[in-house]
Amino acid sequence: MKKILKTKLPELWQKIDADFDLFLPIEKNKTLNFSLWKEGEKVNLDRVRTNASPKHLVFPQTETYLKFKNENKKLSLEVVEAEGDEYVLFGVRPCDVKSFKLLDNIFLRDPVDTYYKVHRDRGIIISLGCSNPEDTCFCTSFGVEAASAPEGADIAAWDMGDSFLWKTQSEKGQKLMESVEEFFTDAHEKDLKTLEHEKDNIREKLKELPFSNIDLSKIKGTQQEIFDQEEIWNEFSEKCLACGTCSYLCPTCHCYDLCDYKGSNKGEKFRCWDSCMSSDFTLMAHGNPRTSQMQRLRQRFMHKLVYYPKNHEGVYSCVGCGRCADRCPVHIDIVKIIKKLGGEKNEL
Amino acid sequence: MENITKKIRAVAKQALINKEIDKILGWKKGDLWSESYPVFITKPEDADSLIWDSFCINNLSKYLIKELPKYDKIGIFIKGCDSTSFNQLLKDNRINRENVVLYGIPCEGMVDPEKVKKIMLNDRVTRVKKSENGFTLTNKNTSKDVLGEEIKYDKCLTCTSPNPVVYDQLLGDVVNNNVNREDRFKGVEEIESMTPDERYNFWKGEFQRCLRCNACRDICPACSCVKCVFDNSDAEISGKAKTEGEDTFFHIVRAYHVAGRCVDCGECARICPAGIPLDKLNRKIIKDINEVYGEFNAGLDSTTPAPLVTFKLEDADTFSKQGGK
Ligand code: SF4
Ligand code: SF4
Ligand code: SF4
Ligand code: SF4
Ligand code: SF4
Repeated sequence: MKKILKTKLPELWQKIDADFDLFLPIEKNKTLNFSLWKEGEKVNLDRVRTNASPKHLVFPQTETYLKFKNENKKLSLEVVEAEGDEYVLFGVRPCDVKSFKLLDNIFLRDPVDTYYKVHRDRGIIISLGCSNPEDTCFCTSFGVEAASAPEGADIAAWDMGDSFLWKTQSEKGQKLMESVEEFFTDAHEKDLKTLEHEKDNIREKLKELPFSNIDLSKIKGTQQEIFDQEEIWNEFSEKCLACGTCSYLCPTCHCYDLCDYKGSNKGEKFRCWDSCMSSDFTLMAHGNPRTSQMQRLRQRFMHKLVYYPKNHEGVYSCVGCGRCADRCPVHIDIVKIIKKLGGEKNEL
Repeated sequence: MENITKKIRAVAKQALINKEIDKILGWKKGDLWSESYPVFITKPEDADSLIWDSFCINNLSKYLIKELPKYDKIGIFIKGCDSTSFNQLLKDNRINRENVVLYGIPCEGMVDPEKVKKIMLNDRVTRVKKSENGFTLTNKNTSKDVLGEEIKYDKCLTCTSPNPVVYDQLLGDVVNNNVNREDRFKGVEEIESMTPDERYNFWKGEFQRCLRCNACRDICPACSCVKCVFDNSDAEISGKAKTEGEDTFFHIVRAYHVAGRCVDCGECARICPAGIPLDKLNRKIIKDINEVYGEFNAGLDSTTPAPLVTFKLEDADTFSKQGGK
């Protein structure tokens, strides 16, 4: 385990920035998001949750993969390579680290999504323990370890007040660590003790959170039975604005649409984020199988709580990051849905 | 506030029992201190879950578009900004006045949870309560007094109609918030004082963060088209692509589309997950309308014709000379 004083961070950022694109939680115009670091940017490592998740780094909101041209009645195609350099992502919270694994389950299984793979391979992920979880966090319900080093992080870090402790967990992480070793010292026995203490602290805080006791096992019934509870789906969807805030901010939502830009003799094929909340979601040549907002809202939660687990050994497609609970303009969120499906009377 | 909660419950219950209304739209408290959210009630016994507190920010008017076709008569609670929104929906012929019973609530301003968190972040706030001069924030161990200005929503700090401008019954005493009408244009003036390049870059930087989630459109009472052009896949501009051109196009079309109909309720800016100050864009247009056609506030009533859809010979701009660049 290594240790770095916080006063050394600016130098560390510079060093990493020289070799990689460095993405940090940067505060700008009332929002906190993972953005490319530049000297002078306001880095905020205290607040746990960025507005949007860092999924845009591995799954860009819009990505062109083919350009086409029609010249003198001859069609030419040009494949566009995935853009972007090698990058380091520092300060990823354990829930967001886990979300990458959930996206891997989709994009890296056969047939592998080559664009996603390139973005994924180019990144080094440094996680940061959640010293100060927010009211709307409920990661524990999804087995996320907000205190320990999360699986999938190349390096795991903890905020120790005036310093950070770093633990390398992969070859990629080891290589990065070697290139910046000069800023670090070895952690002492005492530091490790303090870390254990800090981890206990975090666990205590997590227990006290308002949503810490969300219990998914209370959701009973077969897929069909849950699907058929139209009264519940109607109650929620009645109030849903059908905006895409929940899906666009969510680290695990991964639906996309394939579209064309069509010029008179040339164009581009690209893919972009879709949302089950938009009216043309699942629109096909024959028409749209989901014609009401009830059906679309139901899709969002069935996908997270039923379909995804069915296809992935019981793993839910939610990491309890709480973004939907924090940002849905009308306070529809997965916590309320879980409680309602689990039979709690007083929801809604 | 507790008094108004009592009134809300009593009024809702009675109206449902007497069948004066079939459904009532109000607010309910969630699990968190900051969470008061829309609830639709049809059974009199459920009326006891209705509340009124400093977090009842959601405007219920727009729901009438979808709810009215299902019922003969709907009751709805309405704050100042919600009432101007209601008038706009009336003016746009999206709802019928006869099918709605309006219970007006004079509003002292709503609390922005983000601002509270800034003051007491990580201190686990458990309650925010109105006090004599402002609010008291409480957590497990301590409490802290803050002034209203510190934690109210930006939109409430410049609110010019805290009292409902239309209602059937008023629950509560009229409030006076002493806002200078011109204050709301300060943000616009800052941008106006920039050079054209600076202005361009300012908006470019803002729009860059747009997620294209459409929440600004979906919450807006002036955005009430049956099918939005951005949802029309046949029009080939549904524009899900996240590119500079599409983002700018979306925002400019939206701003112009609500020009003269935007009631300045500030909801678009409040709910934008990317923190884009859409209020400044809308208010620029409101300010221009005021300067060119005389003061006009959309939603103050439901009958005055909007300046951009009417032409009078004495209009400042007679269209007889070439305008713009
Ligand atoms: S559903 Fe909500 S809580 Fe779960 S991962 Fe998505 S945004 Fe986070
Ligand atoms: S953010 Fe809320 S209102 Fe918007 S689509 Fe999602 S659930 Fe509906
Ligand atoms: S804008 Fe005015 S009426 Fe609306 S919530 Fe704020 S103070 Fe109340
Ligand atoms: S609400 Fe904000 S992020 Fe969403 S489309 Fe509107 S401006 Fe963009
Ligand atoms: S544009 Fe914004 S401020 Fe204007 S009416 Fe719509 S939501 Fe309200």
